[in-house]
Amino acid sequence: MDASDEYAPPTSNQLQQPLPIIKTRFPVARIKKIMQADDDIGKVAQATPLVVAKALELFMISLVQESCNQARMRNAKRVSPAHLKQAVLSTEQFDFLAETVGKYPDAVAVSGEKPEPGTGPGRGRRRKVVE
Amino acid sequence: MMSDREALSSDDLSLPKATVQKIVSEIIPPDLVFSRETRDALIECCVEFIGLISTQSNDIAEGEAKKTIASEHVIKALQELGFADYIEPIREVIQEHKETQKQGRERKVGKFEASGMTEEELLRKQEELFGLARSKLNQEGGASA
Repeated sequence: MDASDEYAPPTSNQLQQPLPIIKTRFPVARIKKIMQADDDIGKVAQATPLVVAKALELFMISLVQESCNQARMRNAKRVSPAHLKQAVLSTEQFDFLAETVGKYPDAVAVSGEKPEPGTGPGRGRRRKVVE
Repeated sequence: MMSDREALSSDDLSLPKATVQKIVSEIIPPDLVFSRETRDALIECCVEFIGLISTQSNDIAEGEAKKTIASEHVIKALQELGFADYIEPIREVIQEHKETQKQGRERKVGKFEASGMTEEELLRKQEELFGLARSKLNQEGGASA
């Protein structure tokens, strides 16, 4: 098997394609409120909270997917704050969140290297993974 | 006493938990589960993200001597903050928004045009109705016009 068959967690700055189509929408008015909770923020154009909402949706997709990857790498079925923390720490795009996630426990180290090529997450691994 | 504006957990300045939960379930594969704690941690991160984008966009707008934060400022902010891959989907949202706005305006103008009458005809019609109202008033016992 060649290198292209290896399971490699996605690198940062790249949204995993294809993007899931999200039907649920963020409340645009609430986003505007959150923006303007900062006194430095003044007026925003009508389209602006809509645009921020879209950016937020993409951000969420990215962070949630990476958190799931971190859970999978540890054979976990429940995505925990520790997995989310690890997702943040291993993604350059999320450096601004390092302080925010500091309070969560660290995830256990993934023993050994990446999963064997071709076996996919958690399947057929004889190596013990400590949760 | 901590004011509501400072409390991150206050619902006012946070995202609705149910909405976030729904979105999460649209993203994660069927065999995984997001714990409640993780969802709340995610919400915190989202609020931080909004703050980050807002501050950067605001700085850009101020740099252009603009008082209102526009979509273009947000786009520049995303570029500067390393989220360039978000820009294309966002341009689509802006385009859709413009289309919706355009349709709204056309509809408003359409109401006038849909009456099928010219402005003169409408004015004449208005005078007719006033005349009718006036005579009705006089009939009802001399109330001063």
